[in-house]
Amino acid sequence: MQTITLKLKDAVRSGIATVPVEVDSLTPDQLFGKSEAELKAVKVWWGNREEDTGDLFDVSVEGDAASADEVKIVMEGDLTRVKRIGSGMKAGEIEARGDVDMHCGALMEGGRIVVKGNANCWAGREMRGGELIIEGDAGDNLCAMYRGEMKGMTGGKVTVGGDVGECICQYMTGGEILIKGNANRLAGLNMSGGKITIEGDAELFGPDMTGGEILMKGKVLEMMPSFKFLETATVDGAEYKKYLGDFAMGEKKAKGTLYVK
Amino acid sequence: MADGELLIRNGVVYDPINGVKGEQKDICIRDGKIVESVTNPKVIDAEGRVVMPGGVDIHSHIAGGKVNAGRIMRPEDGRKGLEPKTSVCRVQSGYSIPNTFATGYRYAKMGYTFVMEAAMPPLAARHTHEELVDIPILDNAAMPLIDNNWMTLEYIKSGDTDLLAAYVAWIIKATKGYGVKIVNPGGTEAWAWGKNCNLHDSVPYFDVTPAEIVKGLAEATEKYEMPHSVHVHGNMLGHPGNFEMTTDTYDLVKGIKPYRDRPAMHATHTQFHSYGGTSWGDFESQAKHIANYVNDSDHVSIDIGSIILGDTTTMTADGPMEYSLYQITGRKWTNLDVELETGSGITPFLYSGKSPVNTIQWAIGQELALLTKDPWKVALTTDHPNAGPFIGYPIIISMLMSKKRRDESAEDMHKVIFDRADLPSIDREYDLNEIAIITRGMTAKTLGLAEHGKGHLGVGADADIAIYDMSPEERDAGKIQKAFLNTKYTIKAGEIVVKDGEVVATPPGRTIFVTPECDDKLMDEMLVTLKDKFDKYYSVTFNNYPVQDAYLPNPYEIKAPWRS
Repeated sequence: MQTITLKLKDAVRSGIATVPVEVDSLTPDQLFGKSEAELKAVKVWWGNREEDTGDLFDVSVEGDAASADEVKIVMEGDLTRVKRIGSGMKAGEIEARGDVDMHCGALMEGGRIVVKGNANCWAGREMRGGELIIEGDAGDNLCAMYRGEMKGMTGGKVTVGGDVGECICQYMTGGEILIKGNANRLAGLNMSGGKITIEGDAELFGPDMTGGEILMKGKVLEMMPSFKFLETATVDGAEYKKYLGDFAMGEKKAKGTLYVK
Repeated sequence: MADGELLIRNGVVYDPINGVKGEQKDICIRDGKIVESVTNPKVIDAEGRVVMPGGVDIHSHIAGGKVNAGRIMRPEDGRKGLEPKTSVCRVQSGYSIPNTFATGYRYAKMGYTFVMEAAMPPLAARHTHEELVDIPILDNAAMPLIDNNWMTLEYIKSGDTDLLAAYVAWIIKATKGYGVKIVNPGGTEAWAWGKNCNLHDSVPYFDVTPAEIVKGLAEATEKYEMPHSVHVHGNMLGHPGNFEMTTDTYDLVKGIKPYRDRPAMHATHTQFHSYGGTSWGDFESQAKHIANYVNDSDHVSIDIGSIILGDTTTMTADGPMEYSLYQITGRKWTNLDVELETGSGITPFLYSGKSPVNTIQWAIGQELALLTKDPWKVALTTDHPNAGPFIGYPIIISMLMSKKRRDESAEDMHKVIFDRADLPSIDREYDLNEIAIITRGMTAKTLGLAEHGKGHLGVGADADIAIYDMSPEERDAGKIQKAFLNTKYTIKAGEIVVKDGEVVATPPGRTIFVTPECDDKLMDEMLVTLKDKFDKYYSVTFNNYPVQDAYLPNPYEIKAPWRS
């Protein structure tokens, strides 16, 4: 097991402008096998400038790894302007100790990310596999597609300990997501596959849904009017009302399922 | 016009307009023009490499309202092809709808130096010129859409060709345009009523037929010494069984005597108009029917509008066609009405080799090029971006030059290609001279640009030259494609703009426009009607309408006098 600790230098966050750092080059699969010196030389974008990792982060390495799976990256310091943490990662683990900026775990294919705080918008965007755990809240467009793309999350597992923003899981086609808190409007917009479980309260979930499943354990603040009640069903030992929709997409395409209390 | 004198030494030159077919020659350049001799030149050694005039694209959508609406609608396309700025180039983005900079750089890298923007809504002429100015390197021009315009429809109805000619002159001058563009004549106007038109259907309210519009506009165009004929996108584009309507449309200009030795009609993106069958179920190629017609006649030229497999963005003034396409795909769609002039639609489309329909479409474009015997009648296009982005031209070139490559590609596509298309049975292979014809010679001649220095390497021509990093004996399709994608050198107006496939200079291009010269009395009579239209219907005033000279910082005017 190898642990690479990257602590964002205070100097990066000082000054008036809060210019973001983009760290999609710092994933276990890309850092595996690099010496400490090589690691410090990996390029990251800071605003419109390409900088060495060692210039922006304090880097320390402990232990050895036989494969990328055995590499764990721990990110410390003020991460609120650090974007694309674990973006596109394929293996290993990243632990972010604090709140993180946008696109955390975007396009992720494998491995595991744990965020010990809140995640800004677009976390888990177009995720294909692996596991993303956000212990705090997540922003808008969690696990959705980026602007214009035709698919959101297609695989993998996501757990959010707190609340989530709007339009989560838009165009989701596969994978599973568990929200322990509340969800803002339009969760599962355009979704065609996969499963969303919301333990807290939510409103207007599942618009334009053509497949997949939303399990609502909390209070329904407002229901989409274009879903049809089908039957009463038992899920995990509890009784739910099962709805089919979204009929706004036409009779043939209304293949999405909602379970509400 | 930098670099003073240049000498391109020992290249193997293909200059079809001047009858040069692969001869080892030196080319001398001074002050942006080709000259007899030079005294103290910078020398480019082109020994063993293919040298051609700069490419001339006869039909492409690179600037204006709908191109930009496509960019706005498709951020996902913008993210493809992102390239950061360099010390020479500005930031590039996009694949099927590249930004203005990428458009200039990518065309120049393929050895092209002139591109015709094929559809300018007159009301959006300023926007179009603003984008043309923003496109580096390329000389350019734009053709205004005149066929669904209320003024045109009324003059067609009254049968007054002279007054129609006066209006044509006014709108080309007002938009700083190049010629007369026709897109789904009558059909785009009918779309404003939720309808579409066949060739002999009556256009709602105006009670004229598309056939009358095409014939009337062709007659009005030939009243002047116009460099280019009417440029026609016919009715029922992309509909199964449209092939007979296509040749019926060609028949309309049979009796019209064109100015100079060019056809009276250029029919564009013919691939979309060569469809047999009665539905998508029994859809088949009728390229043979179209090619036979073109072979037997001299009043029409075509460009192929060949398919590039993959994702693209379709955009045209043919509003009802885009709606049909949107109904097939269910993807996003933009529809726009341009007051009393025209309309437009935009929707993304994926051409897949697994789809039987797309496979046949793919075959048709190449069949048209291979079955048309005389390459001087056919041009290479993809109707960028409708059938695919222009960056795919080298793929088409390699297909036309290699039967082997076509056969290999056909194997990967839907089996229907062996039953309902002719491509697998065609053995013809283009040679480099023929490629030079369909990408420069024919297009420059058909557009009437050859005598203005485009598309050839004769003394006095613009020093627009492409040097491809390949030997004339090269037969490997992959290497041919690679060579045509990135030149060894592209020279624009005597300046090296591309070297070893990299853009090294970005001079601004010129905008070429035509001024048809109409009799004052006729013009005044027409203006009475036109001013009334402005007062009653237009959202802009008559005086604010014409594009000011300031929109063309590098203008080149071609005068088109009234024919006596």
